[in-house]
Amino acid sequence: MGNRRRGHTHAPKTPPLSLDTHSSDHEQDVKHRICMVSDFFYPNMGGVESHIYQLSQCLIEKGHKVVIATHAYGDRRGIRYLTNGLKVYYLPLQVMYNQSTATTCFHSLPLLRCVFVRERITIVHAHSSFSAMAHDALFHAKTMGLNTVFTDHSLFGFADLSSVLTNKLLTVSLCDTNHIVCVSYTSKENTVLRATLDPEIVSVIPNAVDPTDFTPDPSRRDNSKITIVVISRLVYRKGIDLLSGIIPELCGKHPDLCFLIGGEGPKRIVLEEVREKYQLHDRVRLLGALDHKDVRDVLVQGHVFLNTSLTEAFCMAIVEGASCGLHVVSTRVGGIPEVLPDELVTLCEPSVQSLCDGLETVIARIRTGNVASPATIHRKVRTLYTWRNVAERTEKVYNRVCREPVLPLSDRLHRLRSHCGAVAGSIFSFVAVITFLFLLFLQWLRPDHLIDVAVDSSGPHSRLGQHVSKKTSKTPNPAVS
Amino acid sequence: MAEEEFTDINGNSISLDCQTHSAFCREFTVTAPKLSLRKVMVCTCFIWLFAYAIFFLTENTAVLSSAIILTLAGMMIHIHFVKVDHETLLIIGSLGIQLSSSYASGRESTTFIEMSKLKDIVINEAVYMHSIIYYLCILIKDPAEPETVASVVPLFQSSKPRLNCLVQVYRSCQEILAETR
Amino acid sequence: MMGADSGPGAPAVPWRKVLYERQPFPDNYVDCRFLEELRRNIRVRQYRYWAVVRETGLIAQQVSCVAVFLTLWSYMEQGDLEPSLVLWVCLGCALLGYGLYEILGGACVRERTRLADLQSATIFLAFTFGFSPVLKTLTESVSTDTVYAMSAVMLLAHLVSFPYAQPSPPGSLSLNAALFGSVCLASRLPGALHTFTMLSCALLVFALWPCLLHRMRDKAEWSFPWAAVLVCLAGVGGLGSLWPEGALLLSLALLTLTLLCPLLLVLLQRHKDNIHGPWDEAEIREDLSRFLN
Repeated sequence: MGNRRRGHTHAPKTPPLSLDTHSSDHEQDVKHRICMVSDFFYPNMGGVESHIYQLSQCLIEKGHKVVIATHAYGDRRGIRYLTNGLKVYYLPLQVMYNQSTATTCFHSLPLLRCVFVRERITIVHAHSSFSAMAHDALFHAKTMGLNTVFTDHSLFGFADLSSVLTNKLLTVSLCDTNHIVCVSYTSKENTVLRATLDPEIVSVIPNAVDPTDFTPDPSRRDNSKITIVVISRLVYRKGIDLLSGIIPELCGKHPDLCFLIGGEGPKRIVLEEVREKYQLHDRVRLLGALDHKDVRDVLVQGHVFLNTSLTEAFCMAIVEGASCGLHVVSTRVGGIPEVLPDELVTLCEPSVQSLCDGLETVIARIRTGNVASPATIHRKVRTLYTWRNVAERTEKVYNRVCREPVLPLSDRLHRLRSHCGAVAGSIFSFVAVITFLFLLFLQWLRPDHLIDVAVDSSGPHSRLGQHVSKKTSKTPNPAVS
Repeated sequence: MAEEEFTDINGNSISLDCQTHSAFCREFTVTAPKLSLRKVMVCTCFIWLFAYAIFFLTENTAVLSSAIILTLAGMMIHIHFVKVDHETLLIIGSLGIQLSSSYASGRESTTFIEMSKLKDIVINEAVYMHSIIYYLCILIKDPAEPETVASVVPLFQSSKPRLNCLVQVYRSCQEILAETR
Repeated sequence: MMGADSGPGAPAVPWRKVLYERQPFPDNYVDCRFLEELRRNIRVRQYRYWAVVRETGLIAQQVSCVAVFLTLWSYMEQGDLEPSLVLWVCLGCALLGYGLYEILGGACVRERTRLADLQSATIFLAFTFGFSPVLKTLTESVSTDTVYAMSAVMLLAHLVSFPYAQPSPPGSLSLNAALFGSVCLASRLPGALHTFTMLSCALLVFALWPCLLHRMRDKAEWSFPWAAVLVCLAGVGGLGSLWPEGALLLSLALLTLTLLCPLLLVLLQRHKDNIHGPWDEAEIREDLSRFLN
């Protein structure tokens, strides 16, 4: 393992620096070989999935080598190539619950080790605290002596038993992880508290939106009425109950108001009941689940974008709404106040009354014409969040991380015991020792030098394009087993 | 005529024998190591000692005789159906590809793929047991739509050579395929 | 904590907790305002010891009720008590309790007429009386040990699932467990009339008494501790006449329950550390059902 990392030009004794902007020139040349690990990736759809994909694409553009490891989705098993040689390993691991794999800390080691060794990975970047595979990968990477980064995409409470347990697991998982990335300052505070971390090793790098995907089109609007667009999964956490109170309240007051609701979920029935009871079939349209490509078509039909979430780490939806030139009304929860400047968003308390008041002020402003045009709003939002910026900032995290030493086993055990409490610390120290022995066994069974080094499809030594016929991305990958 | 030492994915040495019969006809033979006598002896000894231990406890002679029959039958099955001595890929530019594997007992099984059915030969990656390996495979055209791949025939399935060996075979095959097109 | 920006190019602008502005700070910058919105223990109730002791009276008296019931059963099983006598006492208690309930109810709006009450009482009594021979032989084929174990489990389940926060009307699970336990026990009594008496007692103790006690606690607060103490004494005394060591154990348990447990609760409050902040899921405090119904 050691000789794989020797290729990098960094002094081992460099003291850990902050992520300053004045990094030396040679540091910028360092190209990393990164493995993104998460249970959540395409064909599954969601914020984490697109974050991983877009970030990987931008990192490949910057010359790094990126591979993604996730679990098999039905028939999608084996190795696939996406745009620009982004290689995805769909590993055959058993899915337990909600697309998350089972975690035993052991069974995924042989496959993940094989991926890390054959791709000569230097940094393992795990995503989402809901993903068991991400935590497993962090654990194995640390056992193998690789640098680790973790991105947290969600907020957790502290009150109930399940969050107490998951927070303990997060503490164990993150206590010797080199660096953690959060998507908003609120998310950083939350993660630091949950995992009792040093805030210095937690960076805040927001999500981004592709502004070219979300452009305004005022001609699609029906200006004889005012349309409020809601796009979210129809679940309790997204505040659909609040929406079911807002709809009759505002429809009663404003006869020219209509609602366009995209998304699917268990709370759809509540909205349907409200629509039935108040006879609003022509004014409240439920569009059902939307494909990502259709979201923009729905957004541009509206004047106001409404978000009623009860908790949110970083709300991509309101940025997409604003990017399409809509006036955004949102609840003031989680990281939402940090996302958009005050002139672009109207923040309300999470209650029907407050949200109705906020919507009515915006409606009144639209009626008097006292509002910015969609093009103006789009111009302001366009530069706020770009994936290229996210990739640059993530690159700085990688540059910092690869200068840091990876704790040897004895230090890891000490850290676990001192940081995670006597009981959990001892249990996971035991697990760490067992995993280390398992790794030694695997290295005896199939030494590193017997694992073929994979042909790079991205990064500085990419072979993509040189031997076009050698690898066809269309090739089906039947697992030979 | 070239013979080189390669290893399979488990680190056992195998040999690749390339014979160029003509510009359009090449033959590749991957030979796995011979069945080692020591391994057979150790295996047999273990089974017999185990059987003797059971015989010692139960005092039933049927155990001993069945152990002898079991080892003999197991050895027959192993050399006849499992243990592949060498696998051959014969590529004839205008005609097609012949794959044959000969077992340790001398049994041979042969398949032939016509050139008109063949789309390409590629190196692919697959998850195999608890690791990820490279393998050489033939892509077969879909007769209805010639642009799509109907099925994949993996090559050297039992010897499983490593990438450097596969690349050598791949290059030679591509030379012939390029000339015949 | 700070220090990333202590170099010569230290930015003059203050840090803001926003993401939409590119700020001259590194991504892992920690401001002094970090975690300033953290709130601790904002929704913690302060407990006073004697108030908690008073509340535990409800639990203690419920445990004692079970003891009283078991004492009664034991006496009847040994044949020391005439069922007719018990029935008369029960009737008296029921009438007394009903009168008390009505008086305490006072200005309350009655949902049921007295006739309806009488009707349900008659139906219940008639059915129990009619079916008591059946109930008597119900568990004949089951061994006595099993019946005892079953009733013990059921009475325990009654105590565990009793809705102490809202005892009137008694929760269906706890009431059903108690009645099932009573039927098990009653089927081991010598005669059909015994069975009927036992079931009437069970109804009185497990169904009607909690309602009366709840009303007493609501309307005449001073009477509740006395009633609880009285039931506890009855439980301990009754058990004492049968099995003195058991009575000692019961009184120890009751004392632990009423005095020691509240002390623990109050003392452990200091260790409560509840964290709140902007990451908490917002609660919907309004009543949204008005939009649907």
